Amino acid sequence: MQMIKLMVKDDVMSGVAKIPIEVDSLTPDNLFGKNEAEIKAVKVWWGNRQENTGDLFEVSVDGAAGSADEVKIVFEGDLTRVKHIGDGMKAGEIEAHGDVDMHCGAVMEGGRVTVKGNADCWAGREMRGGELVIEGDAADNLCAMYRGEMTGMTGGKVTVGGNAGECVGQYMAGGEIVIKGNADVLAGYAMRGGRIVIEGDAAIPGADMIKGEIIVKGDVEMLPSFKYIGVETIEAETYDKYIGDYAMGEKKAKGTLYVRKK
Amino acid sequence: MVEELRIKNGVVYDPINGVNGERREICIRDGKIVEDVMNPKVIDAEGKVVMPGGVDVHAHIAGGKVNSGRIFRPEDERRGREPKTKVCRSQSGYSVPNTFTTGYRYAKMGYTFVMEPAMPPLLARHTHEEFIDIPILDKAALPLIDNNWMTFDYVKSGDSEKLAAYIAWMIKATKGYGVKLVNPGGTDAWGWAKNQGLNDESEDWGITPAEIIRALAEANEKFEMPHAIHLHQNNLGHPGNFEMTLETYDVTEGVKASKDRSVTHLTHQQFFSYGGTSWKDFESQAKAIAEYVNKNEHVSIDTGTVILGDTTTMTADGPMEYSLYQITGRKWTNCDVELETGAGITPFLYSGKVGVHSIQWTIGLELMLLVKDPWKVALTTDHPNAGPFIGYPIVISTLMSKKRRDEVLSEIHSAVYDKSELPSIDREYDLNEIAIITRAGTAKILGLQEHGKGHLGVGADGDVAIYDISPEERDAGKIQRAFMNTKYTIKGGQIVVKDGEVVAAPEGRTFLVEPIFEDEEIYKEMLSDLETKFRDYYSVTMRNYPVQDAYTPHPYVIKAPMAK
Repeated sequence: MQMIKLMVKDDVMSGVAKIPIEVDSLTPDNLFGKNEAEIKAVKVWWGNRQENTGDLFEVSVDGAAGSADEVKIVFEGDLTRVKHIGDGMKAGEIEAHGDVDMHCGAVMEGGRVTVKGNADCWAGREMRGGELVIEGDAADNLCAMYRGEMTGMTGGKVTVGGNAGECVGQYMAGGEIVIKGNADVLAGYAMRGGRIVIEGDAAIPGADMIKGEIIVKGDVEMLPSFKYIGVETIEAETYDKYIGDYAMGEKKAKGTLYVRKK
Repeated sequence: MVEELRIKNGVVYDPINGVNGERREICIRDGKIVEDVMNPKVIDAEGKVVMPGGVDVHAHIAGGKVNSGRIFRPEDERRGREPKTKVCRSQSGYSVPNTFTTGYRYAKMGYTFVMEPAMPPLLARHTHEEFIDIPILDKAALPLIDNNWMTFDYVKSGDSEKLAAYIAWMIKATKGYGVKLVNPGGTDAWGWAKNQGLNDESEDWGITPAEIIRALAEANEKFEMPHAIHLHQNNLGHPGNFEMTLETYDVTEGVKASKDRSVTHLTHQQFFSYGGTSWKDFESQAKAIAEYVNKNEHVSIDTGTVILGDTTTMTADGPMEYSLYQITGRKWTNCDVELETGAGITPFLYSGKVGVHSIQWTIGLELMLLVKDPWKVALTTDHPNAGPFIGYPIVISTLMSKKRRDEVLSEIHSAVYDKSELPSIDREYDLNEIAIITRAGTAKILGLQEHGKGHLGVGADGDVAIYDISPEERDAGKIQRAFMNTKYTIKGGQIVVKDGEVVAAPEGRTFLVEPIFEDEEIYKEMLSDLETKFRDYYSVTMRNYPVQDAYTPHPYVIKAPMAK
């Protein structure tokens, strides 16, 4: 097991306007096999400039790894303007201690990312596989597609300890999202597959969905374009089952929405 | 300072001057081809293919609808991003690239001139503003004059002189190059949710598209216009439309060309060569179209060959875009341009798994292979409608290699073996023919050979493309790579691309045509009619309408006097 600690230097985030750092090059796949000096030389974008990792982060490396799977990267310090943590990663583990900026775990294919805090918009965007755990809240567009695309998350598992913002799993086609708190409007918008579990409340979930399933355990503000089918039991609890979204036409409406009976 | 360049040892293909794969030296001084030079910078093109700069006869690269396409397809913007360099500004986009990218990518393929074929007159400034931002290339634009209420009036009244006076005014006012028609009559009818076939009378004017086409062709030939009317006819993209296509070709038969060229240039004919009665029995009728072109001298065509993959369709043919959107259910946008034209945009995926798309792919190639005289047919993808222009090298390699065609045919939908002639065609293009369909022939179709484009004779523009392949190369992959990134592209005597990288990005010129209408009395009457239109209907005043000179900082003006 190899532990790579990356602590954002205080002076990097001390300006009036904090300049974002984009760290999609700092994944276990990319850092595996590199020594401390080499890791310090990996380029990251800081605003519109490319900088060395060592100039922005205190770097420490402990232990050795036989593959990217055995690499664990820990981000520390002020991460509120650190974007693309774990973006595109295929293996290994990343832990972020604190609130993180946008695109955390985007287009991830494997491995595990844990955020010990909140994640800003687009966390798990277009995720393909692996596991993303956000212990705090997730902002808008969790596991959604990026603007204009027609496919969001296709695989992997995402867990949010707190609440999630708007449009969770927009154009989602596979994988699973579990939200322990509430989801803001339009969870599962235009969903094409996969599964979203919302343990709290949800507002107009499943709009334009044509496949996949959404399970809500709290209160739901329903769309009128879902058809009530009957009652179903999932894991010893009783749910009302709906099919939709009929706004997409009768033939296409093959999404399922379960709402827990009070 | 005198800039001199000598390209030695290259194998030159210059069809306009009858040079077919000969070792020749090319000398350039002050941006023009000359006999000899004294102290040149020397480029050794030993064994490599040398051609004039490419000339694209039809690609939607600039203007309102192109920009709407960019705005409404952020997902396309993600494909093809490149950060800025010392020479290049930041790049983005695949089927709707940004302006800078458009210039760089064309230059990398060895192109130096592109025709924007659909400029809504009222929005001409937008097109010219984007031209200013497209580096390297020389450009021109064709204003849409066919769904215009002034045109309708004069076609109805049969006043051909005033129609000629009007197109002269319009081409000058928009700083355009010629006359473009897109679904004549149909785009205007679309404002009332209708469309028009070739011989349908319109409700408001009682005129038919055929009458509009004939009248504009005759008006165009009253001047020594470098280019024929540029026609996207009615009924694009519908099964069985090839019959109307052939009828449309007949419409301008007998109109006398004022110059040595066709009377009608019919664009992206792939979309008009469809047989069958529905999408279920859809088939290629490219053979019928090609036979007509082979037998007749008054038409030239470009192909609009399909590049399999995702793209953005955009055209002034509003009703067609709507019916396409009805098929795909993807996003769609539509726009009306008052009194003049309209436009629609929707994304589209040409998939080799789909029978219809696969047959469409074969049609664009069949047209090129079945038209015997390459001077009558031009390579286009109707960028971005049938695919982005960066697909040209794919098409070139496919034309040059029967082997590659067979490989693709075996991979796409098997319907192509029953519904298309392509599998049975053995013809392979040689480099001379490629040079014709990509520069020499297109320059001739646009009348640019007299203005230094499409050839390497003394006095021509110093626009040269050097491709890093031997003339004997038959491997489709190598041909494709070579045509994608030149060894050198030289524009106006300046090296702009070296080893596939853009090394200089000078500003290009805008080519304008100024038709000169001689009869002042008729011109005044036309202006008086036009003033009435502006007063009664336009939301702008006539004084504010013409595009100012500031919009063409590097103009190249071609005068078109009345034909004798």
